[in-house]
Amino acid sequence: MAGAAAPPIATRTVGTGRPGTPGEPTLRWASRAHSIADIETELARIWAVPKLTTRVEGVEERHIAARTSVLNLVVVARREEIGEHAAAVIRQLTGRHPSRTLILTSADPEGRSWLDADIQAFCVLPRPDAAETCAEQIHIRAGGAAGRHLEAIVAPLLIHDLPVTLWWPSEPPLSSAAARDLLAMADRLVVDGSGWTGDGLVRLRELAAAMDRDRLAVSDFALVRQSRWREAIASVFDLPEFTPYLRSIRRIALTYGTRDETGAPGTTNVVKPVYHVAWLASRLEMTVDRPLGPVDGGRATGRTTARTASRTAAAGPPILHRGLVATLRAAKSDVSVVIRPVLSATPAGTTLRVEILAERRGSELRADVTAEAETVHVRVWLDGVAALERSFLAARRTEVDLLGDSIDAGGRDPAIAGDTIRMAARLAGG
Amino acid sequence: MSATTAPPPTEPTAPTSTKPAKDVPRSIRALRLARAGKRRPDRRESKIENPLREGLRLERMPDPFVLVLFGGTGDLAHRKVLPALYQLWRTNLLPHEFMLVAIGRRPYDDETFRADIRASLERFSRVLPIDEAVWASFRERIVYHGGDFNDPDTYSRLTARLDACDTEHGTRGNRLYYLATHSSSFPEIIGELGRAGLDHEVHGAGWRRIVIEKPFGRDLESAIRLNREVGKVFRESQVYRIDHYLGKETVRNLLVFRFGNGIFEPIWNRRYVDHVQITVAESIGIENRGSFYEETGASRDFLQNHLMQLLSLVAMEPPASFDADALRDEKVKVVRAIAPLSPDEIRRDVVRGQYGRGWVAATEVPGYRDERDVDPESETETFVAARFAIDDWRWAGVPFYLRMGKRLPKRATEIAIQFRAVPHRLFTDAGADPEPNLLAMRIQPDEGILLRFGAKVPGLGIDVRAVNMDFTYGSAFSVDSPDAYETLILDALLGDASLFTRADEVEQAWGVVTPIIDVWADSPPPEFPNYEAGSWGPPAADELLARDGRRWRRI
Repeated sequence: MAGAAAPPIATRTVGTGRPGTPGEPTLRWASRAHSIADIETELARIWAVPKLTTRVEGVEERHIAARTSVLNLVVVARREEIGEHAAAVIRQLTGRHPSRTLILTSADPEGRSWLDADIQAFCVLPRPDAAETCAEQIHIRAGGAAGRHLEAIVAPLLIHDLPVTLWWPSEPPLSSAAARDLLAMADRLVVDGSGWTGDGLVRLRELAAAMDRDRLAVSDFALVRQSRWREAIASVFDLPEFTPYLRSIRRIALTYGTRDETGAPGTTNVVKPVYHVAWLASRLEMTVDRPLGPVDGGRATGRTTARTASRTAAAGPPILHRGLVATLRAAKSDVSVVIRPVLSATPAGTTLRVEILAERRGSELRADVTAEAETVHVRVWLDGVAALERSFLAARRTEVDLLGDSIDAGGRDPAIAGDTIRMAARLAGG
Repeated sequence: MSATTAPPPTEPTAPTSTKPAKDVPRSIRALRLARAGKRRPDRRESKIENPLREGLRLERMPDPFVLVLFGGTGDLAHRKVLPALYQLWRTNLLPHEFMLVAIGRRPYDDETFRADIRASLERFSRVLPIDEAVWASFRERIVYHGGDFNDPDTYSRLTARLDACDTEHGTRGNRLYYLATHSSSFPEIIGELGRAGLDHEVHGAGWRRIVIEKPFGRDLESAIRLNREVGKVFRESQVYRIDHYLGKETVRNLLVFRFGNGIFEPIWNRRYVDHVQITVAESIGIENRGSFYEETGASRDFLQNHLMQLLSLVAMEPPASFDADALRDEKVKVVRAIAPLSPDEIRRDVVRGQYGRGWVAATEVPGYRDERDVDPESETETFVAARFAIDDWRWAGVPFYLRMGKRLPKRATEIAIQFRAVPHRLFTDAGADPEPNLLAMRIQPDEGILLRFGAKVPGLGIDVRAVNMDFTYGSAFSVDSPDAYETLILDALLGDASLFTRADEVEQAWGVVTPIIDVWADSPPPEFPNYEAGSWGPPAADELLARDGRRWRRI
């Protein structure tokens, strides 16, 4: 790396020792480097060391058999602790996915240019009688000019011919020039829209734009996490007598949790509820007639803000804002959309309820889907009479599960994700 | 389902003559193929599709159904079928309107039977501990129906019970009959189902399918007879013959490996392939199944089904589509093209063996004749090796060597494609000729693919040594694979017969194996036991290849 200081390379090999516990990643190599050339040298050394074996009762027994050859995973961590957290998540996927992980943290952009890299190899035993599988993890901290040009660090360290997945936790500045350079070399972008500040809708529009601009596949944890809801909602319409109602939906109402006393637009991230509507709308080939805007006296004026709502609230007992409304168009009829906040102790922006109202040949179907902990409940009424009640046990997925699913190359529903994100951006006025 | 009001009766959906706007893939596998642009038309699909299913784990949920499990108290049901059903239920891959009616001779009530299932799940479920909430909802869908398989009263009561399921649980007349009994009971169960009218599919009143476990007969004649019995009652499209080998993830991957990669097809023929070896080695013995094994032996237990299936998948032509019949048409063509062996050829090209006492995995093990329920003079083979020729354009002149044995040194199932040697020796200074290339597909354990090629030994001069490029599945995917029974039961519920064996496949395979069994029955058996437990079979198996100037791969 031009301009980087070049102190001696400190190398530490931890290749011997007892075999790890099946499923638990074990550190088998650790070294440090201060330039791209040194990092490359270290990476070559990991796999050139012939005696990188474990010993069982004094006998060399188990060779580190294979480096996984699945993908490059690049993580852009704005802060050190985000990088550490990402590293811990990725280690849990050692035997499953990444071949090489680059975790990038930049600091002190105005200082001198420097680079510091921790190079590690983690190995995992899939089963007691199997060979170990290893993955490389390089945590690079870069300062000065080097930190401003992360793409120049990433490019030489990618394993060629393997796809590149870019995981950008926190708030990715998707429209910035630096982000564009990184996105240009990625095949898949992984984000978590539910963690974005404000209502998240501006960044949602940026995400859709980046997706089309760079032909990126996108995995948004906020969307992946909702798969249990989607399965439950879809199950209602598996029943042949209910299927035709899908083409006659008149209203989609979402309720989400907020911790803001006003519940005014902009105070709570609404990416998750918007994804619910967008998924339904894109699957049912609806179009956006009128994008989401705040409700004001039953009409969407688009002028109610957090400040005006607070003023209203200050004048009397707190009145929660009535949320956002939009209009979708399905074939020849309108579908009204309402996204309403309710005060809740759940994480802000969590979807609490999805209601679907459909009318067909004078008959009315109402489906109501709610979730709590590990269960999703579905209830359906036909002309006011309870017609169906089901519970789906589906565990909430951890970040490890979500990342595993997201980087499962070409994993399930890439087109569904793209359609949903585009529709969500249109709903958000994009 | 606990609705306060029963769901309304099924109303006619789409007109059956109208094809859906889009063909609906039938399973996860079909979904993947559909993504690859290979959507297959499905003539039986007549439902209105649910567009919300697109992109979910299943593009179509199985219809509501009752699974009628014959042999519900048996070993197979408890080890395989019920754990697979529980797992499908646990992962929300079954519809809520599902009931399990287990039929057995034991005088159980529902609660006793449920307790038995619970105990089995504790032992055999691949995901433990058992989730109490999942179990609670699973158990309430299980009922026990006691009765003799040959008693018409069993079936008349069953009819009433199934009708009640439809009314009370919304199962809509769909029935999956699962025969997990001894094969000797198949004809009577099938006959009684027919007599009770439980096979009839009336339009709009649900489907009727039957799953039959192997063995499908014990020779060609009995297989034809069984197929005839089945055919008297069920149409072939209603019949799902399970060879669980075909449900294994890595066996299914053979298809992806062959037809999802462009580089292998051009060299997958007689011009480049010297010979093919298929090995199914088991280190275990007969595991307390002495009486079963005495009746079957390695040729009936493995050669006729698993080995023939592997051979078909390796040698078949690419099917035009992934439609069940297109796939099975190509598979059966391969078996049909196996050159029939004359009695003399059988004596020369097929080797049988039986293990004697020996050491496996550092443990001394008894010989076959010393196993429980085995005749001390038994002539049953526990090892079979054979050389087959496939007389078709692609494989003429390429021998296929198959071997299967019990109590071999290790557990391994592998298919090896041995390529021809280089046509011209270029490195004359090298100590030895480069070894021919080899492509090995490991089915179990450590599923993976290995390619052997020559590389220069570092140093002065040119010396060539064979090196292996080894891909292990575990290093790329450690996602939990479904059990073969989960895959197959789900496919049967979705009406996808691709991974099930068709009647003509069964008969063709018996057509290959029956002459061997007949010749053996007439010929003096070799000096059994003729191989030591822990060895790679009798010396005659090595001679089989040595005659052709080849040898078995070292596994």
